[in-house]
Amino acid sequence: MKISLKWLQDYVDVKEFFTKPEELAEALTRAGLEVEEITNLAKDFNHVVVGHILEKDKHPNADKLSLCRVSTGDVVHQIVCGAQNHKAGDNVIVALPGAVLPGNFAIKKSAVRGVDSAGMLCSLKELGLAKESDGIEILPKEAPVGKPYAEYAGYDDITFELKVTPNRADCLSHFGLAREVATLTGKELKAPESAPKTSTQSTKSAIALDVKAFDLCPRYTGRFIKGVKVGPSPAWLKKRIESVGLNSINNIVDVTNYVMMELGQPLHAFDANFIGGKKIVVDRAVAGESFITLDGTEIKLTGEELTIRDASHPVCLAGVVGGKNSGVSEATADIFLESAYFIPMSARKTSRSHGIDTDSAYRFSRGVDPDGALRGLNRATALILEVAGGEAFGDPHDFYPNPVKKNPVTISVQTVSDRLGYEALEDKFVDFMKRLGCQVTAVSGSGATYSILPPTFRFDLEQDMDLVEEYARLNGYEHIPETLPTFAKAPSNHDKVFMLNRSTSDVVRAEGYQQAFNFAFVGSKAEKAFTGNISTLKAAGFAISEKEIRIMNPLNEEMDVMRSTLSFGLFKNLNTNFHYGNMMGRLFEIGSTFSVKEDGAYGESAHLGFALWGKNDNLWNKSLHYPIVFELKATVEALLKTLNISSYTWVTPAAGASEVPAFMHQGQYAQLLVEGKKVGFIGTLHPVLLDDNKIRVPAAIGEFDLDQLYKGQPRPYRIQSVSKFPVVERDFAFVMPKTLKVGDVLKDIRKAASGLLLNVDVFDSYEGDKMEAGKKSVAIRLWLQDKNGTLQENQINEVTTKVLESLKKNFDLSVR
Amino acid sequence: MSLTKLDSIKESALAAFKAAPGTKELYDLKVQYLGKSGSLTEIMKEMASLPKEEKPLFGKKVNEVKQVLEAAYTEAEESLKKSEISAKMAAEELDMTLPGFVRNKGSQHPVHMVIDEIFGIMSRIGYSVRTGPVIEKDYYNFEALNIPADHPARDMQDTFFIDKTHVLRTHTSPIQIHSLETEELPLRVIGTGPVFRCDSDISHLPNFHQIEALCVDEKISMADLKGTISFFVREYFGPGLKTRFRPSFFPFTEPSAEVDCSCPICKGKGCSLCKQSGWIEIGGCGLVNPKVFQSAKIEYPKYQGFAFGFGVERMAIIKYGIEDIRLFPENDVRFLRQFIK
Repeated sequence: MKISLKWLQDYVDVKEFFTKPEELAEALTRAGLEVEEITNLAKDFNHVVVGHILEKDKHPNADKLSLCRVSTGDVVHQIVCGAQNHKAGDNVIVALPGAVLPGNFAIKKSAVRGVDSAGMLCSLKELGLAKESDGIEILPKEAPVGKPYAEYAGYDDITFELKVTPNRADCLSHFGLAREVATLTGKELKAPESAPKTSTQSTKSAIALDVKAFDLCPRYTGRFIKGVKVGPSPAWLKKRIESVGLNSINNIVDVTNYVMMELGQPLHAFDANFIGGKKIVVDRAVAGESFITLDGTEIKLTGEELTIRDASHPVCLAGVVGGKNSGVSEATADIFLESAYFIPMSARKTSRSHGIDTDSAYRFSRGVDPDGALRGLNRATALILEVAGGEAFGDPHDFYPNPVKKNPVTISVQTVSDRLGYEALEDKFVDFMKRLGCQVTAVSGSGATYSILPPTFRFDLEQDMDLVEEYARLNGYEHIPETLPTFAKAPSNHDKVFMLNRSTSDVVRAEGYQQAFNFAFVGSKAEKAFTGNISTLKAAGFAISEKEIRIMNPLNEEMDVMRSTLSFGLFKNLNTNFHYGNMMGRLFEIGSTFSVKEDGAYGESAHLGFALWGKNDNLWNKSLHYPIVFELKATVEALLKTLNISSYTWVTPAAGASEVPAFMHQGQYAQLLVEGKKVGFIGTLHPVLLDDNKIRVPAAIGEFDLDQLYKGQPRPYRIQSVSKFPVVERDFAFVMPKTLKVGDVLKDIRKAASGLLLNVDVFDSYEGDKMEAGKKSVAIRLWLQDKNGTLQENQINEVTTKVLESLKKNFDLSVR
Repeated sequence: MSLTKLDSIKESALAAFKAAPGTKELYDLKVQYLGKSGSLTEIMKEMASLPKEEKPLFGKKVNEVKQVLEAAYTEAEESLKKSEISAKMAAEELDMTLPGFVRNKGSQHPVHMVIDEIFGIMSRIGYSVRTGPVIEKDYYNFEALNIPADHPARDMQDTFFIDKTHVLRTHTSPIQIHSLETEELPLRVIGTGPVFRCDSDISHLPNFHQIEALCVDEKISMADLKGTISFFVREYFGPGLKTRFRPSFFPFTEPSAEVDCSCPICKGKGCSLCKQSGWIEIGGCGLVNPKVFQSAKIEYPKYQGFAFGFGVERMAIIKYGIEDIRLFPENDVRFLRQFIK
């Protein structure tokens, strides 16, 4: 909210702060009313003064320019001007050398087409005061020549941009803030004049009132004013309205806005001749009826909105926006002025559900002082009589059957001390409460305990803690000391998944991966286009649902559903990185994916995703030649090892089983089977996808369901002792059909060799020109060890014979 | 006769050992002179033909020569080995200015780096980490935290809605409610994870992270809160930093405060990070509002508590001087690789 210091000065003495507004801003900020910006308008208009044109001649060297002699009181300046709308005898705004106009435009003495010019005659646009101007601004005859323009025009004000938290609706006006300043500084508060001259005619006879929905409208006041003259506002009113960022409309509307900005009481003025049946009814809307707002927007009402109605239809959405059918116009002669208290939730609901944000709705939804309704009505009446004339009828409506009562709060000074952690003083406490406008009553018999009745404008003071905060705030938060609480209990366990995610992240980072973070929502169309048929992801063991989780109010269609996979986001990261010129990268992400469960509940599963692109080797050491999906495989196996999972296999879906996701290479894809359950996949990216995105390096993706991998964690494990006896190596090369999986061969060797086999691995796999079509050569090394003694030749022969016989029998393999 | 011959063998062997160009040649010479069928062995055979009385002297002489030659051999071998290894190393000289073999080094995302570090600090003083669902019931995200429907406090958090009763959590505070409902008192927990607000501009991500602490016990004060945050600030940003509270408003705390710490970059002197104020706003805090205890069915005033929370990205911005918030979700490896520990 914008606050004018000049306006504030009307109610509390803040003169001392005009030269040092930062100090007031600091005091308010420390009290919880943050001043976000201070604007000093006067500063902007240094060296800009009111001038009087003594003579106007043609410029000797230019037809379109004029040469003026301009007086600024004691000095006469020669100024060249390009505008056409001025004449000798006019008062104008002169920017003299030294002035800096908006846009950092510095005025200097200069020569224009060979003639000296010492300043500039200004338009409002050049001063930043209007969006468009027709020529230079001509001031009234009575404008005091030589006076700084800012002072003359009232631009010597300082404004604060005040951030008012939702609990402090009482500070959403100049008088309200003045009250807070008075509380903070102990200065005297002056209330504005609010007793209008009224006639003997009765408002109640002119316009009847029937408040039906008194649950939503506890108080309603109104007055009839006859014969007003609607027109432009006088300069002082216009200036005030504009100084806080509002537009001047006409004198009646401006007064209602003025009183709202002054007292915080929103008002509405109706053209009384459009109140059908001369009757105001306050009631809920009729479901389905339509209403046209002041700005001409038609809305359908649900029946929950509180409306102000005449005998037949709604004329105003209570506290939110007026109706087009009853607004004040140039033709209005008689008005009905409304000042009410509407329940905050009702005003907010209407405002939110129809998307209508007005200054009035903003205040009502935060809480307007119910006790201030009549004061606002009277203040506005007095001002209307002053600026628009007319006859204010007496006997105003004041429907207030059950005055709003605050509940007293009982609190001991000891409670304040306990909650703040330092000793609160009783005298101070009582003083603070009184300064806040509370009624303070000592509770007898219980020592330093008080019953505090807060004022009606403080909606936020309801319980003891609210008063504790007021004490802390007024005493200054800087007085809170620093202590550490003791804790007489053993700390509880950390969240298990959080801790497991940390260790997963450790393992993957040690393998050389950068951790990524992607938004949890994605574009539904784009994700669908990437994943294709989601049954392929289901086949990899993921809880994924056909029905996606949509966001009702997405920012845009790129973020309209919760993601069902990490792969899509990581692929986008890969693509962006490659096109940024990052030829190689290793990314992983740990995050949630989302699905709808069978019972309709929302499911979140922790996933681990990978994206790899480019070879992980040096520019000058290109010794590594492998498909990078095997690098990913090794990373995953390192993780499985850390998780102490030994029973797992990589499964290639059968050809034609349609289990390979659309983004994966059909021939370079495997699912991970852990203890009989699918938990994820790895694979090379589909060549067409790479080509479409012009990704020119090999790339792989993998994704795993961590919730499944974490089953049974932490798994206990025991360390094996290390044998000192020698290890014997035996190498064998086999020619085998391409279709035979090496994994199956290794599995067979492990089974056949049993006890003495320490390890078995592949050290070469060759397919190419030198091989018969459909065949490959695979070289396998066995490490053998007897943990109880040195291996004997006959033991070695026994094992290798068993292995070779088994391979012959099961795969028809012979040593090459 | 034989003695003369012995002398000449000695002389020629010594000369030959000296002249040997390499250890291999030297070894051949050793075989030639001292081997099984070497010169010295041969000359021993001549001893048989010597008169009896000359035999001991000759034997002694041969042994002397043998020792001399063996010593000479060892000396020559050592010297040759030395020069050979020097030559070998000279030949193997590397250009040590060539780049090292680089392996891609892993790194933590800055968001997780911050969370991890805060987790470590708070663990030290007994706090246990908690998480919670991202798709949260309206009740946990708002109602239980004293933010009723149609309350203006809801405007403070632009909410993504999933359906009438579910939202994407707008803060990590619902985790507090889950803890209060299910755990025994006293309680010290930190809640962390992604949160969501429909707000996206130069300084706001619609999906960002928070971390917050909750302490509930029988005697908890604002001073305890300030002391705990001060401890945290000094651990996280460095010793000597000050903590400042400013009154504020959060529906779930009362009294509430915004927390500033003296600027870790300029130590309070004024710089561009702190906009010359010497202070940096780092988060919000307060004593748990009794209305929150009421929702979670916890006895007040028997128990009191405090809570404080930070935006994780903001902490990373302050600590690492990250200038553009869009770097967080972009995952450019040139950015990520800088976060090495």
